[in-house]
Amino acid sequence: MVSKKQRVRILLFLFLFIPALWATVPILWMVLSSFKTMEDIFRVPVRLLPDPFYWKAYPEAWGQRNFGLYFLNSCIIALSITIGNLLICSLAAFSLAKYKFLGRNLLFLLILSTLMLPLEVTMVPLFLVVKTLRWQNTFLGVIAPFLADPFGVFLMRQYMLDLPNELIEAARIDGMDEIGIFFKIVLPLVQPALTALAIFIFRESWNMYIWPLIIITTENLRPVTLGIALFMSNYGTDWNQLLAIATIAMVPMVVLFLSLQRYFVQGIVLSGIKG
Amino acid sequence: MRKLHVSSRINRWAYLFILPTVLILLVFRFIPMTAAGYLSLTNYDLFSRPKLIGIRNFIDLFHDASFLQAVRVSFTYVIGSVIPVWILSLLLALMTVKLRRGGGVFRTLIFIPVVLAPVVVAVLWRFLYFEYGLVNEILRFLGFSPVPWLTHPSTAILALIQIGIWRASPYFMVIFTAGLQAIPEEFYEAGRMDGTNAVTEFFYITLPILKPIFLLVIVISVITALKVFEIPQLMTDGGPAGATEVIPLHIYKTGFVYFKMGRAAAMSILLFLIMMVFSWIQVRLFSENR
Amino acid sequence: MMQKRSSSVFLNGILFLLLALVLLPGAMAGGQKEGSKEEPGVMLKPMEGVKGPFAGGGWTFPSRPIKISIWWHEYAPFTKYVKELADRYQKLHPNVTIEQVVASQADLNQKLTVALASGTGPNILDQDISFFAAYYDKGVLEPIDLQVFGGAKLSDIQNEYIGKALEGVTFGGNIYGLPYQANSMSFVHNLKAYREAGLDFAKDAPKTWEDLKKVGAKLKKVEGGRTVRKGFDFPYQSKRWQLQALQPIIEQFGGTVLDENKKSNLAKEPAIKALELWRDVTKVTGDPKYSLATPSDPNVDFIDGRTAIWYTGPWATNQLKERFGQPYTDWAFTSIAQLDPSRPKTMMYGFTWGVNKDKPAIEKRIAWDFVRFMLANPEEWIIKASFIQPRKGLMETKAAKEFPYIDVHLKDIETASWYVRSVHTNEIVENVGRAIEMVIFQGIEPREALKAADAELSKILDGK
Repeated sequence: MVSKKQRVRILLFLFLFIPALWATVPILWMVLSSFKTMEDIFRVPVRLLPDPFYWKAYPEAWGQRNFGLYFLNSCIIALSITIGNLLICSLAAFSLAKYKFLGRNLLFLLILSTLMLPLEVTMVPLFLVVKTLRWQNTFLGVIAPFLADPFGVFLMRQYMLDLPNELIEAARIDGMDEIGIFFKIVLPLVQPALTALAIFIFRESWNMYIWPLIIITTENLRPVTLGIALFMSNYGTDWNQLLAIATIAMVPMVVLFLSLQRYFVQGIVLSGIKG
Repeated sequence: MRKLHVSSRINRWAYLFILPTVLILLVFRFIPMTAAGYLSLTNYDLFSRPKLIGIRNFIDLFHDASFLQAVRVSFTYVIGSVIPVWILSLLLALMTVKLRRGGGVFRTLIFIPVVLAPVVVAVLWRFLYFEYGLVNEILRFLGFSPVPWLTHPSTAILALIQIGIWRASPYFMVIFTAGLQAIPEEFYEAGRMDGTNAVTEFFYITLPILKPIFLLVIVISVITALKVFEIPQLMTDGGPAGATEVIPLHIYKTGFVYFKMGRAAAMSILLFLIMMVFSWIQVRLFSENR
Repeated sequence: MMQKRSSSVFLNGILFLLLALVLLPGAMAGGQKEGSKEEPGVMLKPMEGVKGPFAGGGWTFPSRPIKISIWWHEYAPFTKYVKELADRYQKLHPNVTIEQVVASQADLNQKLTVALASGTGPNILDQDISFFAAYYDKGVLEPIDLQVFGGAKLSDIQNEYIGKALEGVTFGGNIYGLPYQANSMSFVHNLKAYREAGLDFAKDAPKTWEDLKKVGAKLKKVEGGRTVRKGFDFPYQSKRWQLQALQPIIEQFGGTVLDENKKSNLAKEPAIKALELWRDVTKVTGDPKYSLATPSDPNVDFIDGRTAIWYTGPWATNQLKERFGQPYTDWAFTSIAQLDPSRPKTMMYGFTWGVNKDKPAIEKRIAWDFVRFMLANPEEWIIKASFIQPRKGLMETKAAKEFPYIDVHLKDIETASWYVRSVHTNEIVENVGRAIEMVIFQGIEPREALKAADAELSKILDGK
């Protein structure tokens, strides 16, 4: 006899199965197709599995450009932006959440308002700023403008609001200075939110496209997204190679997410509560 | 909440901590933003020195048929994508939370589209939407006729909306999940004593508690949908016949393809104002209900 | 509460505005420093094996270290060849460093625009000639430096080129760029498809649009309700291409895209008839939704056998050779279909090198010298990049003779008019493309679609 609880479980499983398929089948299809030969890819009617199994699209695609270097560059850019944001956003968030000072609300509002202007239009003035700083064609020029994500400040502030003030007071009474409080008391407590922010920022910076395109001119500094675009621009791209490169570009993000996803949800749990 | 004891010595630290953020945003966001505001009052063409022309750019926008079309397209896209996103993401969150064991696995699987780069998403869906691609093959298999997804004006916008939902719902599902998991079990127990069933429980307990999160989701989802740019640019470049030319893409073309940066800046100021007004309405609604 | 907040936002806004005003003009003005005239250096000798102005020489080549930059759009054989040319030039002049940047066509436009706008553009730029009217208008371009062409006269340079080849880069009587590639648009045919459909290419190759309707319908293959092969299809992967295809048809009907005063002709009869023809041909031979073509891979449907007759240029030859192999018995070029084959109208577009005005004088001179150096050997351009330079005497070279269907391409260049050139080319392209898509994908009447495009375009061309 199936209990009511189990019946609900089975129903939920069935209902969740459809969106799970919707989310994963397109991606699986891309991965499967990247192992097909060119004739097999557009065979009518379609066949599910590659026949023959053709893995050479991967080395062929990889070898056409300096993808190893592009991946390294993407790592440098994404990691710098992520680490920078973790520190800078949580410092600002700490200030906004746990201190009272003149202009605090106005500052918070101004920080949030920067979320709303699309890059397409601030691009030329932003480029002029970077040019004035003489940072074009450097990693710094790609990284610096994105070191303080307003959404990151927002997320961390929401999370920190819930930290008990008593904890901070107690530390002060024990003679700990403010920097010590931030690093030794606050940061360890907001670790779940930091993880969520890390994933969020890493995703944004790993996927960045137009900005590095504008800033970077040297071949050696290109990130993966530009590599893919260049790869696509070559007349007569083979679809299996294109899908292979898209698959490779997807892997780091998926792996990162899968290994950290537990913390990710946890991190948003508390931050999301307050509007 | 107990107020913190604040001395001026500590206050200085507060300013110091926020300084890096303020500096970075000042240099890389506010200066460019203000410059865009200034440029919106000029005839800037990217190459010559900008000349002030007052609010002419703004007035012209109301007679600009292609801009008005872009506004229509953007609103279609926003309304077509955000409402399904709200419903779907809430439903998914409810179901995965209810499932408990195994819910996390589903959540992980459903979330994967969110991490893909736009350029990868564009390649992937172009491949799937092709006349003989997977989507149409499934339709054929089910006995429907194939759909010219990206080549017909009315289906192209649908195709992009579908991708929008595909990428956004899992994201908001996680935010809803966070909210749901934070609701203390006692609330439900109290409800059960008052004789709630699954439906009344949802409407009388879950939804009111989730309200602030719901409002957050509404604002973020609408702003994200209004800012959508890369996917339409990479997949349809606004076509066919302008059917998928959303406001940001139109801004981009006006500025960088037609070299009318002044007018493009005016458009983005307008877009910025729309978003501000919308967020302001949300804040009002939110504070009224507090 | 809200009131108070927004007013302080406003005050802050003003503060930032002031900051921006201080910052902007300085950054936008760019620097135009003049190099000194008396550079120490060595007298440059003309290049060996090159005749005429492109041999260069006869001026003092500076001996101090100089760095110039060149940006171009990605196309594998082209990229390889330009890199090779840069290496050779640097070997010839060890004091010159050439910084090289490659990007996809779309990305390059984007990058180049921002760079030129902010005074950080390259010394040498590569662009579709139809952009040059706008670039000239915006004061981006440096006119040709005749000194590096051995002190030649402007007419000597013009004499090197065929027909109207320099028309697209000539403004106010001076030359502002030198094309490295002139593309006439022609039909390319899949001869395997002809054989399969029981057709004889030599006899059945379409010469008129009526022929094309008949032949295209026979080449079109439909199985179980789905198109397996299109007989012929117009391009839809980019709006630029759509205008490339529509322009010669408008001209065949006796019209033009713009009139002599650069006003829109889109609502006139020739344009309407051209678009009606486009639609009618598509109905019997094509299937626009059955396509995988993208702006960066336009020929893919033809290459993969999804289209039997396709509209493309000589630069596709490399790709064709690679996919179909030698000898060239499986594909062939012909001129595009005509209304009246005795009075053929074709079109051409091209890509050109230009030199950035916003640079020190000495760099501009070296930039022009490198452009001269790159273009000095048109025969090599055919061999290495499949690009046809619109130069006189090219036809007599061995490489040209070996280039498949060169006779078709050169004949097409002769009967061609240039792709529409205007400060507003991109907007013309957008509006014409929209009209075509409305007709083909939405079923709107050509007359109506073009009327709407004409109204929109007229506003733009009138400077509204």
